[in-house]
Amino acid sequence: MTHIGSAARAAVLGIVLAAGVTAPAASEMVLNAAMGAADLGSLDPHRTASTQDKAIIGWMFNGLVRFKPGSLNPADIEPDIAERWESSPDKKTWKFFLRKGVMFHGGYGELTAEDVVFSIERAANPKTSAFSSDFRAIESITAIDPYTVEVKFKNNVPSPLGIFTNFQGGNIVSKKAVEKLGDEFRSKAVGTGPFAYSEYQRNQAVTLVGHKEYFRGKPKLDKVVYRYIPSDASRDLAYQNGEVDLIYGRADQRWVERMKSQPKTVLQIFGPGELGHLHLNMTKKPLDDLRVRQAIAHAVDRGQLVKFRGASVFRPAVSIVPEGYLGTDENAPLLQHDLAKAKALLAEAGHKDGVTIKAIQTSQPSMLTLMEVVQAQLKRAGINLQFEVVDHPTFHAQIRKDLSDLVYYSSARFPIADMHLTQYFHSRSIVGTPTGVTNFSHCNVADAEIDAARVETDPAKQLELWKVAQRKVIEAVCGVPLVANTQVWAHRANFDLGYELKGSLSLGPMLTENSTFK
Amino acid sequence: MIGFILKRLLVALPTLLAVLTIVFLFVRVAPGDPALVILGDSATQEALEALREQLGLNKPLLAQYLDFMGMVLSGHLGISMLSGRPILDEVWEVLPYTVELTVASLTIGVVVGVPLGIVSARRRNGWADYVARVISLVGLSFPAFVSAVLLLLVFAIQLRWFPVISSASLEDPAERLRSLALPAFNLGLIMLAYITRVTRSSMLGVLSEDYIRTARAKGVPGRMVVWRHALRNALIPVVTVVGLYLGVLIGNSVLTEIVFNRPGLGKLIVGALNQRDYTMLQGLMVIYAFIIVLCNLLTDMTYGLIDPRVKRQ
Repeated sequence: MTHIGSAARAAVLGIVLAAGVTAPAASEMVLNAAMGAADLGSLDPHRTASTQDKAIIGWMFNGLVRFKPGSLNPADIEPDIAERWESSPDKKTWKFFLRKGVMFHGGYGELTAEDVVFSIERAANPKTSAFSSDFRAIESITAIDPYTVEVKFKNNVPSPLGIFTNFQGGNIVSKKAVEKLGDEFRSKAVGTGPFAYSEYQRNQAVTLVGHKEYFRGKPKLDKVVYRYIPSDASRDLAYQNGEVDLIYGRADQRWVERMKSQPKTVLQIFGPGELGHLHLNMTKKPLDDLRVRQAIAHAVDRGQLVKFRGASVFRPAVSIVPEGYLGTDENAPLLQHDLAKAKALLAEAGHKDGVTIKAIQTSQPSMLTLMEVVQAQLKRAGINLQFEVVDHPTFHAQIRKDLSDLVYYSSARFPIADMHLTQYFHSRSIVGTPTGVTNFSHCNVADAEIDAARVETDPAKQLELWKVAQRKVIEAVCGVPLVANTQVWAHRANFDLGYELKGSLSLGPMLTENSTFK
Repeated sequence: MIGFILKRLLVALPTLLAVLTIVFLFVRVAPGDPALVILGDSATQEALEALREQLGLNKPLLAQYLDFMGMVLSGHLGISMLSGRPILDEVWEVLPYTVELTVASLTIGVVVGVPLGIVSARRRNGWADYVARVISLVGLSFPAFVSAVLLLLVFAIQLRWFPVISSASLEDPAERLRSLALPAFNLGLIMLAYITRVTRSSMLGVLSEDYIRTARAKGVPGRMVVWRHALRNALIPVVTVVGLYLGVLIGNSVLTEIVFNRPGLGKLIVGALNQRDYTMLQGLMVIYAFIIVLCNLLTDMTYGLIDPRVKRQ
């Protein structure tokens, strides 16, 4: 009887175990990460700028140079695939000397200068890259020998290292893999980074494996499962239940506080800052009147917006470029909250009874709720902001057709002042034109300074030019910067990234060969 | 029987054609740009234009329409604009998940819902009736995403019986059942609610018919009256509801799929819509329309099984 009883117990236990075992074999070290998105966009680093793809691409690729893991400071740029580099006295010709023995994933062999040339040319071609404009200054790129690459620039470039970092177009892909895989490269990309593509399950996860031949050494993690969990509640529950070790967080005070109360959890709050702007379309009435734009700037209360969103992850804007970027004027003369002044300016402009401004607004909750607070703030000054709320893809398409008087837009970019200044405030980027990007205000007051700063080789003069550009844009009130948020992720306390995380261009923690469970 | 099926499929053809045309036009009338989704928000107009050209979005509408129709007729639904993979491959990958979830929740709905409806009808205004009505009211009024989170809180977090991420691989049957349990229960609750209500009201109608009274007067045992005489006649509306919701469930389980992190057709449709993946959306609509037609066909065939009079007509 006892025998039968214990056999039955063993059988039950067996079933329970079979059903309950989710952990892989003990010898394998697996990191389960969860991203707040429905699915992979693309793993092709030259083709995607979606937030959900940036982190994972950062784990798979290298650039010629890289930001030291955990840092966003351009002064911390260090060798990656190139072990050293030199430039001609006129700074127009640069030579990169490549490391030997850099191996691609999946048996695609050793990386040579040919791959680098192919990769940069691919990134510079608008047909194959979303970042071609970053490489506009390049005149030619050639392989001198298998381990030397020469880049010639059309004009002076103060520091060309920026475009060759492990970010977007700077990521080096395998020529052979791109040619062989064709369209499939999007979901099966091949790089040289610490983690290699292994499997993709639609709407579920991308699985990466440690790249055993990684040139900095075999990664300590054997496997990384990057899961797509769009529902905030489920993602948090999966973390709480121990099914996920590293989790993407929304820049949200309540989330931060909830995660702080989780046992054995490390909260990572890091740069780059993502700055939200109200872009005011200066070609449309009544926004063509400087006084009306000034009134809007005075009506906005940044302090209140920070209070609304939470001070753990939000800070008031300091300039039209996010705080902490190279060239940000941290003491920029932004117009401050002053309701009386706002009303007086409106009256002076002949709008005693107030004005009405129409804005196309996305239905995305985090953006819409912030704008509702702004709407209430403007209302107090007699500015009636009317929304036409549309879904997110429609919003993106319509604002690029120059259809909205006022556009709320938030972004993080490569952390130098040039990016925000060029993309949002240079006339070349005005929406609706062939070279257009995201200049929604039709701002053109600082073109000369922005262009001059691009080719200025003296760092002090360059900073000065950027400062003047920021002041001019602020004076003309092309836009009103609101608040900036940082990136937030959390992970188990026994997981060690292997470096101190202060900033990450990929908007997520970089995983290196040293990242491991303690 | 085969003649009947063929006839039904032929009748469905114009419907399918109309659906396809409407879908094709609607997808393109909606503002939004797949090129922008692919390239991201800092792409220049130049790059966007180049990609649109590559994707064939610059062709005249009529040319795009003819391309699309040609593809549908050849049975090849085209390639997803975003992933670059054949749409049929993408669908085959998630279809098993959708089918198992639909079948499981439907089974829960029928197996629990029909008896509950019958009991409720027989004990009208008794306590069993009230319990059944409360259960079905809960099932109807709880949004799927709320009940899903509640289920997770209780069964995954507190009791730790089931995983939060229920996307186990297809190979391990035990793990797969464990993953299926909560989502199936969540959707099953909704099915159950509808089926209980319909069974109850239909049963009440039948039980007051003359022939039931006659059967009872003849001394047929109560159990026999209900299961043999009444149920068969009461089932027609139930089958209608099941057929209708079968189609709805297949495409409409998206909330459940999202909360429980399951792949599925619903998630695929919503994803394609958000990313303006025109080709994917069109392909999915073709498949979805086909599924609906198939469900209706199955429903009609079931009518024939239950009620011989339908077959004769």
